[in-house]
Formats: sequence, structure tokens, C-alpha cells
Amino acid sequence: MITELRKELDEAKVSSEELFEEAVKKAKQEQDKYNSFVTIIDKYKIKRRADSILKGIPYALKDNISTSNILTTASSNILKDYVPVYDATVYRKLKNAGAVLVGKTTLDELAMGGTGTTAATGVVRNPWDSNRLIGGSSAGSAAAVALGIVPFAIGSDTGDSIRKPASFGGVVGFKPTYGRISRYGLFAFASSLDHVGVFTRSVEDAAIVTDVIKGPDGYDMTALKDDGKSYKNELNKPLTHKKLCYIKEICDVNEYKDSEVIKTLTEFHKLIDECKSKGFEVDGVSIDKKLLEAIYPTYMIISCAEATSNNANLTGIQFGPRGEGNSIDEIMFSARTKGFSELIKRRFVLGSYILQKENQEKLFLNACRVRRLIVDRVNEIFKDYDGIILPASGKGAPSFDKSSEQVSDQQVILENHMAIGNFGGFPSITIPFTFVNEMPVGVNITGRVMEDDIVLHIAKEIEDITGLKGMKAGDRHV
Amino acid sequence: MYKAVIGLEVHCELDTKSKNFSSSPNKFTETPNIHVSTVDLGLPGILPYPNKEAVRKALKTAMALHCENPDEVIFDRKNYFYPDLPKGYQITQVTKPMGKNGYLDILVNGKKKRVLIHQLHLEEDTASLDHFSNYSLIDYNRSGIPLIEIVTEPCLESADEAVTFLEDLRDVFLFLGVSEARSNYGQMRCDVNISVMKDTDKEFGTKVEMKNINAFTNVRAAIEYEIKRQTELLEKGGQVVQETRRIAEDGKTYSMREKVDAIDYKYFVEPNIPPVKLTKEFYDELRKEIPELKLERYEKYIDKYHLSEYDAGVLSAKKDISDYFEEVLSYGSDIELTVNFVTSAILSTIKKLDIELKELFITPKMLSGIVDKVKNKEISLDHGKKILYQAIDKKIDPNEIIKKQNLHQINDKEELLKIIGEVMDENVSQVRQYIDEGNTYVYNFFIGKVMAKTNRQANPNMSLEIIKEELERRKQDEGK
Amino acid sequence: MIEKDKLKEYAKKLMFDMNEEEYETLQKEFDVILRQMDIIDKIPNLHEVEPMTFPFLLKDRSLRDDEVGDYLTVGEVLANTKHQVNDQVKVPKVVEE
Repeated sequence: MITELRKELDEAKVSSEELFEEAVKKAKQEQDKYNSFVTIIDKYKIKRRADSILKGIPYALKDNISTSNILTTASSNILKDYVPVYDATVYRKLKNAGAVLVGKTTLDELAMGGTGTTAATGVVRNPWDSNRLIGGSSAGSAAAVALGIVPFAIGSDTGDSIRKPASFGGVVGFKPTYGRISRYGLFAFASSLDHVGVFTRSVEDAAIVTDVIKGPDGYDMTALKDDGKSYKNELNKPLTHKKLCYIKEICDVNEYKDSEVIKTLTEFHKLIDECKSKGFEVDGVSIDKKLLEAIYPTYMIISCAEATSNNANLTGIQFGPRGEGNSIDEIMFSARTKGFSELIKRRFVLGSYILQKENQEKLFLNACRVRRLIVDRVNEIFKDYDGIILPASGKGAPSFDKSSEQVSDQQVILENHMAIGNFGGFPSITIPFTFVNEMPVGVNITGRVMEDDIVLHIAKEIEDITGLKGMKAGDRHV
Repeated sequence: MYKAVIGLEVHCELDTKSKNFSSSPNKFTETPNIHVSTVDLGLPGILPYPNKEAVRKALKTAMALHCENPDEVIFDRKNYFYPDLPKGYQITQVTKPMGKNGYLDILVNGKKKRVLIHQLHLEEDTASLDHFSNYSLIDYNRSGIPLIEIVTEPCLESADEAVTFLEDLRDVFLFLGVSEARSNYGQMRCDVNISVMKDTDKEFGTKVEMKNINAFTNVRAAIEYEIKRQTELLEKGGQVVQETRRIAEDGKTYSMREKVDAIDYKYFVEPNIPPVKLTKEFYDELRKEIPELKLERYEKYIDKYHLSEYDAGVLSAKKDISDYFEEVLSYGSDIELTVNFVTSAILSTIKKLDIELKELFITPKMLSGIVDKVKNKEISLDHGKKILYQAIDKKIDPNEIIKKQNLHQINDKEELLKIIGEVMDENVSQVRQYIDEGNTYVYNFFIGKVMAKTNRQANPNMSLEIIKEELERRKQDEGK
Repeated sequence: MIEKDKLKEYAKKLMFDMNEEEYETLQKEFDVILRQMDIIDKIPNLHEVEPMTFPFLLKDRSLRDDEVGDYLTVGEVLANTKHQVNDQVKVPKVVEE
């Protein structure tokens, strides 16, 4: 954990060079098995004049974050040779804070996937069981933290791309309020849903990293003004916001048949009881099931539509592998045909179909309307509650062979509700809370817009209850 | 009889320091790819950040064209693939354009015509392509330059009307100071949609589109050619084909391609630009910055100042001239004389020297001084103009010249006494000669000194009298 | 079921192609997804709702002041392509539309 490493660095028990070498060594050792990285950095580089809590701490960046002079592929062949000429704001801030980059992590191609299996460089495996996936799209970042290669990694989250792999990887995954961290330099998937966020092994570490990378940005109009808070310091104050709720339609054990899901929900309700005994007030609230069922299609429609447009810059003309042909259309056509995998193409066709004049009203705009209904309902809930607590996944990470299995409609809701956090830009965190069939499962807390500190604080108190802090893959659950 | 129906789509680059959605320079250059940011290049991970000044200038133009304005700033994406469009989409406005349903009144051959504006929106320019025999080159300097597009209703009926509208629209840009609108730099470009129909027809004919015409003379040629071509075609019983044509150097238009299915641009709201509210205060402030436009000034000069149509036309044609003229008047100077000075002396001088009015040495304040002296008959009109030319020539304030040429005497007794006192204090020995020796030759000595000191402006007769009195007074004071 | 030729046409407009097998997969996927999208249609009075583009709105958003800031060198502009002539990006001849 960052806090421990900080202490060791300050007491000169270890040097940051040693931490870096150790991280690189481990990254290389685990690479063949888990495939966390697209690029592992060979050269130790640090801003010597930096003075921050992260100085000398090694970390990893998702490979869809722009790093000048370092290959950035978004795990897609269409960018397989792309070396950016500019730094993403999050990278610049970490560089200036003296954090030491160890590598660029594998993701689902162009961040458009939730399994960690669609990168151009191959699948990412779950450190707790290499026969299982880790989830995505921030697969490599989750795996690198779960493996203990780095104490923190940066990811991006459009539907649940940080919070789902965090659940499957037994680590903390936090995406703050939309705009809290600048998106400048994050390769866009769906701009109105995209967030930058962090993976760590404790809630406190998530607060520490967020403190460094948050803030306004002259390159991102949606970046929020400075809230003047240190989230780390806020954790040490007494928590006054302790009213939580869960959504009854999602958490009713009787609705499910899958034994692992039943186990997860049983553990979840136990956790709720423990929260209550620790001074939390927790109620079940209702959301119209029609709305809950609409979350997934709404997410698909909006994200695919925006993605089709956002990735129209990938033509191989000015960057990326140049296509072949005698006309301008032929070279664009060839670059894109070769550069995108089938899955990506399918999503783009879908997105384009959704935006077509004759479908836009029925598909795209209706999805945008449902988005509002869902967000309005959640904001109504937030009038009475400080946070919504739900299982981050119905069970542990699926095996590779089971990933395409049919799931019930009910389970679709359970597995996709975290997109609510993206619809409304709500701060949302996943922390490990139990093990089902030897695999970690996370609990998710989502709070009011702007109240990142409160969400972290609630998560910290629940972390104290679960005792699951600082876990690495292989650590046995007691 | 056939009549033409013409609609125009006019693009004009706005004059700002930085581009519309990034902070790279908005500056014309021949050197390729030196004014390009990550955003203009459409690199992965970039985000647009709209330029306040571009928004202000677009809104100002919309207001000057009497448009309805939006309550907030919102942009949309127009999606299509083309090598000059690095992002694969253009940021433009569909949902809430900067202006809707406006108009511009123009004078066509002395007759007033109201040209209806369908909409005005703010968008970004594309990169530019240079074509060679077997390849093309992309220069991204132009990518992202703020561009407004003004779409008229199909309400123009002739080349005269269309060209007058374009000229007057350019004057609107110039009067507002939103763009230099130089068509030779491609800063102002025009698409023409044209069809012809019988006087008695209810429905428009099939329209032909001509894109990206820079020079107004080409707009005229293209329209005149098309009216003739389409009319002849219909008269022979033929049909106009819906197509895109281009104007060639021979002044004729040629078919480029027939209209295929309209492209679906899949517009949707740009998600990276959250809406910015435009308050009443903001609009009030903006409204104050909108000057009177050409036609308003022209009508004012005729109705209020009773100028001839010719003079009103000359004085309202350019904003700098009109502003200059109005500033002279603001000092209370005589209208008729001011018109005379500005239209003859001032305009002929800047033409002769081939300079801009703002480079002229004579300020409106200086001119006002001369005009007032002519009006008060202190100097004649001819003399006034001579002084003006001298002042321009020597770069001296004309009022100084008037003084120097002794055209302005000091007749004030107090003032003269003060000067004479000083002169005597400076020349004590000559004063002593008078007191001790009664030497009256010193009178001329002192006159000479006084004239030198006042640049020969002192009234000599009055001065002599005062010198005599003052010398006598000083003598008495000594008791001699 | 949506026609395969339609899907091909959509793909072409997006400047890429797929093989027959992939189009068939897409065709099936479209069917499933469009059915899922029907869920949305079941929500009552949807037409009365204003479509939402932004996660939340803020009153104090402001536009960028018109100042020149960072921009790229020619070298950076061209860093990711070897297809260049006279400091410009070279492409096959574009037939002006």
C-alpha cells in the first residue's frame, strides 16, 4: 500500500529505484501468465524536485492514457505504433508529483468491453485464478494492483470499467464525480460517460491518489473547479453521513437461482446488518424494475453511439498504421478494416445505426430520456440517503469458458447497475467485501455528485468492518 | 417569364487570437503546420474548449442581423469522413444556433430589399488540402479556425441582389469588427443554391448547388450563367438536374456530380461542451458593442443630417470613415463644412498617400478645430484646406500652424503684461538704460523680445503701449 | 431480421468491411440488441422527457478566454506519419467533391 511504502521511503529503508526495479521485475515475471501490460518501462524516471506523498511510488497507467514518447495503443491494432506527442493531464500530474511509471496496462480494445479478453495483445487473466477473467475494460490495471506489482494504477470507467474488475480482482476501484479528474488525454470511448479513476489496495490509498490527480484543467471544459479538500484528511474526521440504502429489486435473494449469486447476496445482507450495528442507517428502497431493466440497453445505445463518432479519428492518415490503396477512401478503408477487431466493428455499426436520422429519435434520444429518468430517480433517493450500497457483481469472476453463458434478465440488472454512476456522474467506489467460491467479490457505494469525500469515507468505514484491506491475489480470506 | 430563386450559404472565418476549440493561434500563414494543437489534429484523447471571443463575435453578428439568439451555448457534432477533417466530425451547431430567423436590409439599385436569414451558426474550419498531379498534401493550420455560417432563405432573385447582399454582409462583418472577411485568403466563402421557376409556378424548380466560391465576381458570373442555362433548358422543354456544379475560369459552370442520396451526418449534441447559460446581462453588454451599421448610418445622414445621397453613400461606406466623420460632428462642428472637409480633403489624401484612415496624422479633434475656425470666419475655407495639407505634410498640429502663421494674436492685456514683465526681468540692463538714461530706443528691443517669446503672436501695438507703461511704472517705483 | 446488405452498407459508411461470417454474427447480434432496446420503449410517457446528454449541469461553467496557449511544433504534428512532403501529410490525390 502507498502509506506503507511512503513510510519505508521516508525512513530510507528502501529507495524509489529499488521499488521501481522490484516492480519491473515482478511485472516481467507475471507478464506471460497474466498479460497485465502492453508496455513495461525499462528506465527509471522521476521528477527529482517533486515533493508529494506519491514521490518515488511506482504505478501503472491504462494504455488508453496519452503519454508522450511512450507507446499508447488502447490495446488496438489501429494504434499499435502510436507514440503520442503530448501528456494526458492525469499523467502530467502524477509525473509532477514524482510518481514513477512502471508500465502501460492492457485493456479491452479501445476500452469497449467488460471482460479483459479483447485486447490486441491477448487476454488478461485473473490473479486469483488464471482460469478466470479479471473483467474490464481496465483489466491490466486491476491485475497489476491485485498482483502487487504496483500499489496503484490508473484506469478509466465508462460503464463500470474500473469498479467491475476491482470486484473481480479483490482490490479497491474508485471513480470520482464526472469531471473531478480531467479526461484530457484519455482516449475517448463515450465522452458523456467516461471517467478517469484509480485502483488501489485500500480506501485511504484511493483518497491519496485522487488528491494528487483531481482538479480543474484548461484542456477539459467538463473538469470541475477545485473543491479545496484533501480526501485523505477528510477520512480522519468523524463521518456524519451514515444513511445508506440498497435497491430492493436488485438485492432480493429469492429472485435468483444461481447458488453463487445467492451466496453473494446472503453475504451482502450480512454486511448490511454489520453496518447497521456500526451506526449506519440502511434501508431498502425501490426503483421501478422497468427502469432497472433499461439500464443495460440505455448504456449500450449511448456508449456505442458516442464511440462511433469518437473513434472516427482513427483513419491511419495522420497517425496509426497507414492503410493501402490508391485513393484516400481506400487507405482509410484498409486501415480501419485491418485495425479494428470484429467486436469493435460490430459496436460501431450498432452505434452508427442508432444515430441514423430515421432511428435517432426511437433509439438514441429515447435512451437519453431513460438516462434522465434513471438519474432523476437516483437523485431523488439521494435526498434521503448519503449513498447507495449494492454488490458490485453477483459473484466472483467468471471462467473464460463461461463468459458467454446466457444469464437471466434478473442477473443482467445485477451485473450492470453500476452504469448508473456513469449516467449521473456520481462518485462510486468498489471495495472487496467477501469471497464466493474462493474468488473475491466487491461491494459498491455510490454517492451524491461532488461528494467524493463522503463516498470515500463511507467506504473506509465499511472497509474497517470487512477487514479486507491491503489484499493481494493469493492472500487467503480468513 | 422565368424568375430565379437563389439561396446563399456564406462562411466567414472570425478574427480571434486563438482557434475555436483550442488555444493554437488563429493567424494566416503560408508556412504549413505551424499553428496546430493536439485538438486541431484530432489526436486521441483531445477535448474541445470553446473560445469565448468566437462565441461573442458570432452572437454579435447574429444580433446585428436581427436574429433570435439562444439562451445557452451548445454545440453539435456533424459526422463524416474526409481527409481535411481530422476528428472525423466537425463541431458545429444544429440544436441551438447562434442566430435564427433574422434579416439584413440591402439597397439594390436604390431599392430596399429585406434578405431573410434562416440561421447563423458557429463551427470550426477544416484543414486545407493542396492537390498535386498524383497526390494531395494536408496542412492543418486552418483546422479549428472559428467559422460562422450564414444561411439565407431562398429569397434572392438576381445576381445583383446576391452580390449586393454579399458585399453588404461583408460590411456588417467589417463594421462589427468580427472578421476582415478577405475573400482572397478564403476567409469569406460562399455556396450558391439556385433554381428557376415560372412567374406563375407555386413550387420552386429543381435546384443546383455551387460550392465554395471565393470571389464575388465569380458569384455573379455563376448566377448569371446558371439563370441563362436553366431558363434556356426549360424553354426547350428540358429538365434541370439536381446536381453540384462548379464555376470555371471561362465563366461557365460545369457539372461535378449528380446529387446522390443526401448524406446522413448523424448529428448529436457534443458531449464534451456542457451548456453555458447566456444571461440577459451578457446580451445587454454585447448589444452595447454593436455599432450602427452601414444602412442605418446612410439613412441617418440623409434624414437627420440632410446629406445628399452621394455624400451619405461615401460617408457610410466604410466604418472608419463614418466613425471619423461622426467624431468630428461630436465636437459640435458644422455638418456641411465637415462633410466638405472629409469627402474632399481627407478622403483624397488617404487615397493619394495610399494609407488607412487610422494612419492619417490629422485626428477628428484637429479637423474639428479647423472646421470651427472656418465656420467662425477666422480663416477662409481655402486657407483652412491649405493648412490641413501642410499639417499632413509636416505632421504638425494644424492649430499650431495657424498660431505660427500669426493668424492667432495675443490680444489679452493681462497675458501680454505677464510676458512683458518676464522679458524685462530677464533684461535688467535695458530696463536700467531707460530708468537711468531715459533711453527710448529700448522700446524696440523689448518689442523684439516679446515677439520672439510669443512666436510673433503678441499684438505689436498693444505690446508697445504696455512696454511704455511698464517701463514708466518701474521708473516711478524707484522714485526717480 | 435486419438485412445483411444493409449492415454492409452501414459498415462501408464507417470505412471498414467485415467478412461474411462476421456479418452473420452481427446480424444475429442486432436482433438481440434491438429486442433489448424494446425494453426502453415500454417505459411510459417517454416522449415527455427531455433527453439527457450531460451527467449533470452546473451554473458556473465558463468559456475559454481567447488567449494563445500551447501548440505543437511541425515535428510533433508529423511525428506519427512517415508519409510527408514539405512538412505536410501526404495522401493519395483527393478528388475534390
